[in-house]
Amino acid sequence: MAIQGIDIDNLSLKDALDLATLIEEEARDRYEELAEQMQVHHTPGAEAFFRKMVRIEDKHRVELEKRRHELFGSAARRVNRSMIFDIEAPDYDLVRQGMTAREAFAAAMSSEVKAHDFFVAALPRVKNPEVKALFEELRDEEIEHKQWVQAEIDRLPPAPSTPEDDVSDEPVAH
Amino acid sequence: MDTQLPVLQPKDFKSDLKPIWCPGCGDYGVVQALYRALSAIGRPPHEIAFISGIGCSSRIPGYTTAYGFNTVHGRSLPIAQGIKLANPDLLVLCAGGDGDGFSIGGGHLPHAIRRNIDITYIVMDNQVYGLTKGQLSPTAAKGRKTVTSVYGSIERPINPLLQVLSYGAGFVAQSTPADMPGLSAIIEEAIRFPGFAFVNVQSPCVTYGEEHQQMKAQKATMKSLSKLGHDPSDFLKALEWATHYGQELHTGVFYRTPTPGPTYEAQIAERKAALSKNALPRERILELFQTR
Repeated sequence: MAIQGIDIDNLSLKDALDLATLIEEEARDRYEELAEQMQVHHTPGAEAFFRKMVRIEDKHRVELEKRRHELFGSAARRVNRSMIFDIEAPDYDLVRQGMTAREAFAAAMSSEVKAHDFFVAALPRVKNPEVKALFEELRDEEIEHKQWVQAEIDRLPPAPSTPEDDVSDEPVAH
Repeated sequence: MDTQLPVLQPKDFKSDLKPIWCPGCGDYGVVQALYRALSAIGRPPHEIAFISGIGCSSRIPGYTTAYGFNTVHGRSLPIAQGIKLANPDLLVLCAGGDGDGFSIGGGHLPHAIRRNIDITYIVMDNQVYGLTKGQLSPTAAKGRKTVTSVYGSIERPINPLLQVLSYGAGFVAQSTPADMPGLSAIIEEAIRFPGFAFVNVQSPCVTYGEEHQQMKAQKATMKSLSKLGHDPSDFLKALEWATHYGQELHTGVFYRTPTPGPTYEAQIAERKAALSKNALPRERILELFQTR
């Protein structure tokens, strides 16, 4: 599991909400980073999609943060970004210069799958019933997100039949 | 859970400069792992000097908020050593690619190691000169086809792990951005090591690298040395594992000396203290050179 120093078995609701908030924050920041990469490398379609994902992940983050604030006010956080690793953030190796919208959606899909798998793996270990309920809710949300991404992929025009290697001009020596 | 939160967060080490590495490059993961390691170390950016050579990976100091110096090709280690000697209180990091470190700057590596200066040297090893569009680098496998070896390389590659172990480095590790938690932990451990620490990062080149070198392949094949039961204090076993370089991707600490020796800068300070007892004052020395 891509977390360090977090005792999932004995997680409190406050820590669980903070963890969930950080997962969304990490995903938001990664999409922001990927959008910047696409901008620098002149790939506007994927850039626009990643920027949309930035807004979506940030919306989720704000909602979770609001819940946390309502329940626990400004009580000190005990979890931080150093403790989580790419739970919902897309992997760096999923992006390419000139990537298509379909490939960008596929990157998002793999991130939603990762996040879903995280909550599925964590649930059997969680003892606190409130945390269990929260994780079940988040797991189900990831299912909805996967369905949304799949629906978006289905709306795209069909993928080109020409293999990518046939149109790529790099690397020169291969 | 009683974890003490670090005062500095990874984002505190991220500069405003946007990386221009190719999308999909392994170096994105390396810099993220570095931010995390530095936040765990807890030294503020102004107490860190980050020195690099030339190449794609040598851009890395610019993407941190530490003091940075993107020097000349292959010369990051001499400059980093000078900085450490001039200001031993600085945390000095050094970085570059395999061409920068083992070819152009290859002559500097044994001397930095034998001096045991307290520097962490991170090499982003991708077996190719990526910045100049894919020439054969010193760690490229025999038979590798590139723009400068169109029929396949006829040279044997350098084994950097064996090299640094044989030079006497007290800390030798290898990791990959395909294992972010592992990479971050190794960089942190290397920085904490009191002496010269070497971290070889198998950071794939997405543009000129081969399929089997990419992160997807690494995730499927990498093997953790600790899970294989390796004892990092066992030097001979470390040498044996190092011989697998190029065939298998082993991650973790190959060697950590159980008895770290004195650092060069500590010995210099000691020597200065000893000699200064009988040293002439500066004015008296200058007087000796005055013409009568």
